[in-house]
Amino acid sequence: MNTKKISDGIWYLLLAGALVLPFIPGGIENTFHGHVLTMVFLYASMAQAWNIISGYCGQTSFGHAVFFGIGAYGAAMAVVQFNSLPWYGAPVGALVAALVSIPISAPCFRLKGHYFAIATFAIVEIFNRLFMIWDWVGGAIGLDYPILEDGWRNFSWSSDKTGYYLGALFLFALVFGVVRWIDSHRMGYYLRAVREGQETAESLGVNSSLVKLSAMALSAGLAGLCGAFFAQYNYRVDPPMVMSLDMSMKFVLITILGGLGTFWGPLLGAAVLIPLQEYTRAYLAHLGSGVDLIIFGLIIIYTMIRQPTGIMGLIRGLAPRGRDASNDGGDR
Amino acid sequence: MLRKIAFTVVLCVLGALLLTGVAVAEDKVIKIGALFPLTGPSAVSGQNCLNSVLAAAELINGAYEGFDVPLAATEGLLGGYKVEIIKADHQGKPDVAKSEAERLYNQEGVFAVIGSYNSAATKPASAVAERAKKLFLCGASSSAALTEREYKYFFRHAPTDAIEATEFTDYITYLNEKKGAGIKTLGLIYENTEFGKHAADEGKKAAAKIGLEVVADVPFNNGATNLSSEVQTLKAANPDAVFGAALGGDYSLWVRTMKQVNWLPKIAINFCTGYQNPAVQKELAGDGDYFMGGMSFSPELAKEFMPEALKVQEKFYFPLANQEFDSDSLQEAVMLLVLGQAIEKAGELDTEKVREILATETFVSPLSLSGEVAFEPGGQNIKALSVITQIKDLKYNTIYPEKFKNAEPVYPMAPWDNR
Repeated sequence: MNTKKISDGIWYLLLAGALVLPFIPGGIENTFHGHVLTMVFLYASMAQAWNIISGYCGQTSFGHAVFFGIGAYGAAMAVVQFNSLPWYGAPVGALVAALVSIPISAPCFRLKGHYFAIATFAIVEIFNRLFMIWDWVGGAIGLDYPILEDGWRNFSWSSDKTGYYLGALFLFALVFGVVRWIDSHRMGYYLRAVREGQETAESLGVNSSLVKLSAMALSAGLAGLCGAFFAQYNYRVDPPMVMSLDMSMKFVLITILGGLGTFWGPLLGAAVLIPLQEYTRAYLAHLGSGVDLIIFGLIIIYTMIRQPTGIMGLIRGLAPRGRDASNDGGDR
Repeated sequence: MLRKIAFTVVLCVLGALLLTGVAVAEDKVIKIGALFPLTGPSAVSGQNCLNSVLAAAELINGAYEGFDVPLAATEGLLGGYKVEIIKADHQGKPDVAKSEAERLYNQEGVFAVIGSYNSAATKPASAVAERAKKLFLCGASSSAALTEREYKYFFRHAPTDAIEATEFTDYITYLNEKKGAGIKTLGLIYENTEFGKHAADEGKKAAAKIGLEVVADVPFNNGATNLSSEVQTLKAANPDAVFGAALGGDYSLWVRTMKQVNWLPKIAINFCTGYQNPAVQKELAGDGDYFMGGMSFSPELAKEFMPEALKVQEKFYFPLANQEFDSDSLQEAVMLLVLGQAIEKAGELDTEKVREILATETFVSPLSLSGEVAFEPGGQNIKALSVITQIKDLKYNTIYPEKFKNAEPVYPMAPWDNR
């Protein structure tokens, strides 16, 4: 059995298991573990969206918090400012995020390597300041959700996390499903070709500018959808919550920890990092002085020193030699 | 084999006993969540607030004589229930505050949550409580918007930014009329957050009412490392008065930057900010002198009007925090004492009954400047009072209103080169 079939098997098994979980008593309901699992799926989806442009296409972006934020504002504006439903705001936000990403990234794509990354850093700060002073979107005060009726219509629940969990699972299936599709189609080869050598790819007829812009728009749109979920989950959005370097670093950190440019990396990174973050805070924060954050930081440093290629690198290291790795989801 | 079975049985019995013991112990415990920024930019204030709540819990749990404070003389609540404080850290982040509030209510099973210092964190955390019909008591968060949401389960002790802003402009009117101060223009410098923006907006509204012209409106990002351009903007506009809203380290940075550029307005009045933190003032040493601020507690004020607060500070708070109360931290303790009184009046741990009592009754509160606490619909404490103080030699002298005044204001502020 080759790795593609194994990967497919794991994928479908994972989705089936995750779908069944809420129907097991005590599985999700109103538990802290339900919250953690929801966050794992959300952050895995965010990281996978980032992985499209940065992992598969090799353009390291630190600006994804902007697109995530636009998506979050899309849902929140629909609910708070227009007294409408998030179902209208979320796709509009994602679309706006995708559209905004094109004029932003087009000039930045002229830069290469570290210079591209630095330019995207600046974009986060620009948008953060802009939203801070833009009163129509709440400015520094942000947008607070009113108390909404529970249910799918408002995508809001107060006493049971099952709805949010299923929402995050759907988002996860959508984002990872898109990447699986890309991975096995022509677009995936284009992305990897641009990543491995832009000039070489162009010499073979690949329009690298179009490939990079398409990948960025897709990545930004999916990040925007994740942002919409984030706003719904937290009943609030303000610029520091969503359009911050702190948020951008989460996209990067999770993917690098799991394995950059790999299909499973974002999920593995989120599955390690998010529970670590949530449980250390929940059970160690009472000790005071940020013991939870110190332990959290030390574990990340240790992991990165011991295994710079991320958890996927660790798994590959454990796999028997000579295994068929030719069709491993385009992993580096 | 028999030995293994016996060992297993003993383990099971011990486990059962342990669990029963825990259950019995839990039966006599009232869990209260304390949700504050224990790490992050507001960590110092958050730790002070937590210590204050812990001090109030200790006062409730023991029987102490010589304190004219409700619940001090009796041991625990409802005839022996101990208050157990479950600590949680929201890091100053609204999303973390929301998930920690959920964890406190759902996993830890707390009866109520006290917090959360940062208004932006208090909003989503209290929304969790409102949705779940659980109590949320807020000591220090001052954004007026918090009590404009018509929530039923949210109660807040602190005076709002709107109340403070009106008091500031009343004081300016007093200075202009009684002292001929000639204050005509106003500058605002504030952190660009829920708290700072609200405070500035209320400041502008209050200024408009007395015809004070706003000539500088300067927001900055909290946790800033440099405020030179912001202070230069203020200096260029040269307002007669400045309203400030900067927490902790931002406050000391602002004051030090004013010294660097060698500029001061005639008066500078601060919302509940780093100004009222004694640790920040110690760090500033003499540079903090002559600044003013709204406060509802200072050791000097307490000597005359809140003597019990000083006793509580000495016996319970100082051993935990190794410093004096400040307005913010003390108000968190007050909210636990008010909640304790409401539980006692209800006679049982019924959220609806306790909520009803909180919403309708007046509570004796020797740790509050007004001596009483009562909430209007929406949860604002209608008895909330604050005074304007001016700091000199690390002492907060009360300069307004007349009723509480213990010193004459030094006006205008002494220039930097004449201190």
